[in-house]
Amino acid sequence: MITVEGFEKTFRYMSMFWQGMGTTVALSLLTVFFGFILALILALMRLSKFKVLKALSSAYVEIFRATPLLVQLFIVYYILFDGIALPGIKLFGFIRFDRFVPGVVALSLNSGAYLCEIIRAGIQSIDIGQTEAARSLGLNRVQTLKLVVLPQAIKNILPAIANEFVTIIKESSICYTIGVQEIMYTVASVKGATFSIGEPLLVATAIYFCLTFPTSKVIQYFERRMSRGDRR
Amino acid sequence: MTEDNIILEIKDLKKHYYKGKLKAVEDVSVNVNKGDVLVIIGPSGSGKSTLLRCMNMLEEPTSGSILFHGRDITKKYTVDENGKKVKLDIDSIREHMGMVFQHFNLFSHKTVLQNMVMAPVKVKGMDPDDAAKKAMDLLKRVGLEDRADNYPIQLSGGQKQRIAIVRALMMEPEVMLFDEPTSALDPEMVGEVLDVMKGLAKEGMTMVVVTHEMGFAREVGNRIVFMSDGSLLEEGSPSEIFNSPKNERLRDFLSKVL
Repeated sequence: MITVEGFEKTFRYMSMFWQGMGTTVALSLLTVFFGFILALILALMRLSKFKVLKALSSAYVEIFRATPLLVQLFIVYYILFDGIALPGIKLFGFIRFDRFVPGVVALSLNSGAYLCEIIRAGIQSIDIGQTEAARSLGLNRVQTLKLVVLPQAIKNILPAIANEFVTIIKESSICYTIGVQEIMYTVASVKGATFSIGEPLLVATAIYFCLTFPTSKVIQYFERRMSRGDRR
Repeated sequence: MTEDNIILEIKDLKKHYYKGKLKAVEDVSVNVNKGDVLVIIGPSGSGKSTLLRCMNMLEEPTSGSILFHGRDITKKYTVDENGKKVKLDIDSIREHMGMVFQHFNLFSHKTVLQNMVMAPVKVKGMDPDDAAKKAMDLLKRVGLEDRADNYPIQLSGGQKQRIAIVRALMMEPEVMLFDEPTSALDPEMVGEVLDVMKGLAKEGMTMVVVTHEMGFAREVGNRIVFMSDGSLLEEGSPSEIFNSPKNERLRDFLSKVL
């Protein structure tokens, strides 16, 4: 039952929700950052002429896309970080370092696989003539990629990256299972304190929406700004 | 002709695709001398563009050699005078060869000016202000100085191709390679691009031009090469090629295009 009284009780714990939101945002931003770097490396491996690198990248992407995120998260937390004693400090006073780091690692490894496919498609969508023109002017492979291909590719894939970021914000809720105190963890805590689940859940829903909706709008704005070269 | 006057020396060049099923270029040998305007003509699919693209290694030849000032650029390693193995830096060779493409290939995310200054600044380490000044001078020469801050999409085909030519000129190449530079243009824009190329030829620029513009070949070229089915069938001066063609296939080709 959703009641006004239930909301009043829930709102007393708003500071916990704000902290949970901060954790979710930090988790997602770091995931996109590390996931993007990983994806860029994977995509370049995939497009390289060395068969071993190609195969490694393909295998990575296939494995991470074909297994559940929850399984990956548990493997990272219970196996990968089993022998590693992370300091039990709290970042900004509320982010539990020893839970947060495995969360970021697992999410980054996972989204790296998805972003890799996006970046690869973006690079391949750029006309080969752009590369040929750059190389014919004497630019080397790296300069061509950095100055000519990637800027155009990233512009093209921005909507897809925005989607992935929004997806990560939502999927980061899974980290509550390993004790990262993000939004869903807060819901569980508030439920324990108020004995009601509906109101905290609705608050969490509203917070998630307020995070993802503006995010896609902001990226749409940058997409428009970066497409200057496409307008007459 | 002294050694120094030969810029490109192509020997027995072969380019096969699909493990030899498609022979795009077959045993072609030809020299490009300083000051030459070498025009390659021939029917579609005769390997003209492939030959041209091999000249700056955009296509890797199957066999044969391409000497740029005596240095074989098809080999990954060359041996210097002291017998030491030296890795070939193809980028430093390409700097000296400008290329103009059928589809212009201007960098669409950069303005005209940015398109022009990128390579001189990044490859040659030229001062950006000097590069911009030089770009403006070149743009004036082709009558496009008011387009410096436009993006490629805002330009007509003829304008794009003129920009592509001066972009290549920014690197002060020794030889300019033109790959069907007017084939993708509306008919009324062909003239403005050919005029720029004529101007370059008059200034003494060494040029290799693949084209279907027979008027240009006859008027501006000093040597004409006819290719068909990957082979070089006849080579000569414009008057030899157009007025007294010897090869049967060339006669047939000319009767269709003239």
